[in-house]
Amino acid sequence: MSAAGHKVVVAKDLEDLIPVFLKNRHKEVDTLRVALASADFEQLRQLGHRMKGVGNSYGFDAVSAIGKQIEDGARSGDRASLEASIAGYAEYLAKVEIAYE
Amino acid sequence: MSDLAAATRPAAQQTSFRVLIVDDDPDTVVFLGRLLAREGMKVEAEYDGAGALAHIAAAPPDLVLLDVLMPGVSGFDVCRRLKNDPLTALIPVVLVTSLEDHASRVCGIELGADDFLSKPVNREELLARVNSLRRLHQTRRELESRRLAAEIQRKEAMRRTFARYISPRLADRIMAESGDGPFESEAQRINVVALFADLRGFTRLTETLEVGRVVDMLNEYFTVLTDAAYRHEGTIFGMAGDCLLVGFNVPFAQPDAALRAWRTARAMIGGFSPVLDRWLHRGGPSTGVGIGIASGEAIIGNIGSPHHMSYTIIGDAVNTAARLMETARASEVLVAGPAYEAIREAVAAERVEARGEVALRGKGGATPVYSISL
Repeated sequence: MSAAGHKVVVAKDLEDLIPVFLKNRHKEVDTLRVALASADFEQLRQLGHRMKGVGNSYGFDAVSAIGKQIEDGARSGDRASLEASIAGYAEYLAKVEIAYE
Repeated sequence: MSDLAAATRPAAQQTSFRVLIVDDDPDTVVFLGRLLAREGMKVEAEYDGAGALAHIAAAPPDLVLLDVLMPGVSGFDVCRRLKNDPLTALIPVVLVTSLEDHASRVCGIELGADDFLSKPVNREELLARVNSLRRLHQTRRELESRRLAAEIQRKEAMRRTFARYISPRLADRIMAESGDGPFESEAQRINVVALFADLRGFTRLTETLEVGRVVDMLNEYFTVLTDAAYRHEGTIFGMAGDCLLVGFNVPFAQPDAALRAWRTARAMIGGFSPVLDRWLHRGGPSTGVGIGIASGEAIIGNIGSPHHMSYTIIGDAVNTAARLMETARASEVLVAGPAYEAIREAVAAERVEARGEVALRGKGGATPVYSISL
């Protein structure tokens, strides 16, 4: 993902909610990894589905996009794709830059 | 403080419009809660379907924002149960879901969902849809309030009409019960206490009095008697000429029926005294209330023809009370033996005279009679 892809603009009135939101996303990465290690594709699908629903709402379009990849990968049982998506998610969260407007 | 409580804290002007957000994702709950709280709505949350159903049963909200895919009871299941229950069917339900497929929307509509929102939620769309349902809800509530007010007015008018014929408390009970209350049942045989009251010699006097004056006097007289009967929760069964029949222990049980009848008699005679004073002051006739009281089995029911029915009371107790009334003097209460035994301790002994076994007109055998002078 490019540097520009790590920049998000969040509505100013949601600023106080973002720390908890990001904390939950980091926890999500851990849960995804555990689910992948145990080949729990149903949980992976549910987590991806949830990411897809919540990301855009807060302005984090990439979270929704990665969530869709994980949901699709879980449906097809594509471990390699899931590994890549989870790694990409962790990298995104590590590098994301937030601007409030 | 919970995330939701913190997120919805800025709501300074909360109204009574309560929104329940049901979603297994806490971040979605917080996000939706923040937006709605800023619109002045009171936000509550549940994180699964079972919790939502329990919450709604305990405190029905004004609107439900409902996620579809949740562990356990799904949003579809919650929606189905809400819409199938008459108590919750009118609560607007908005399905909030990432499901984009047409089939899921059709399923939601079939289950009775009022609207849909797709995740990720667009805040303008969310507020537009919720505010639209809020307006509908408020309109519905106003209409319901008006309907209820009209219903209360109608019932009150009926109660007032009823209360002209039966005691106000009995009218209240009948209005509170569904159907025809005590009047719907078949005729039945029960123990009653019957009280007959009559204005001594008045019928003869009416032949010499001017018609308007007779009516005014009877109205004054019956006002005193009916007030006494209702105060002690008697049921008025008949009013003919200057004669009044009041029943106790009917249609509702009154274990102290005889005492109620005695207190009613006392109140009738006591209440009539100032009325008589006024009549005498205006040159009216000298008269007084004579009363007969008897207890026993009687038949209670709706009697008459298909064109005219009367809720009435028939039986030996009624006949005996009528006969006693016929022989009672002004300000005298004649009480048949069994009824007297039930009130003996409440009556001042010096006012009582045992008349012994008396043969009453139209009745075989003799009846023990007690005279109480007031």
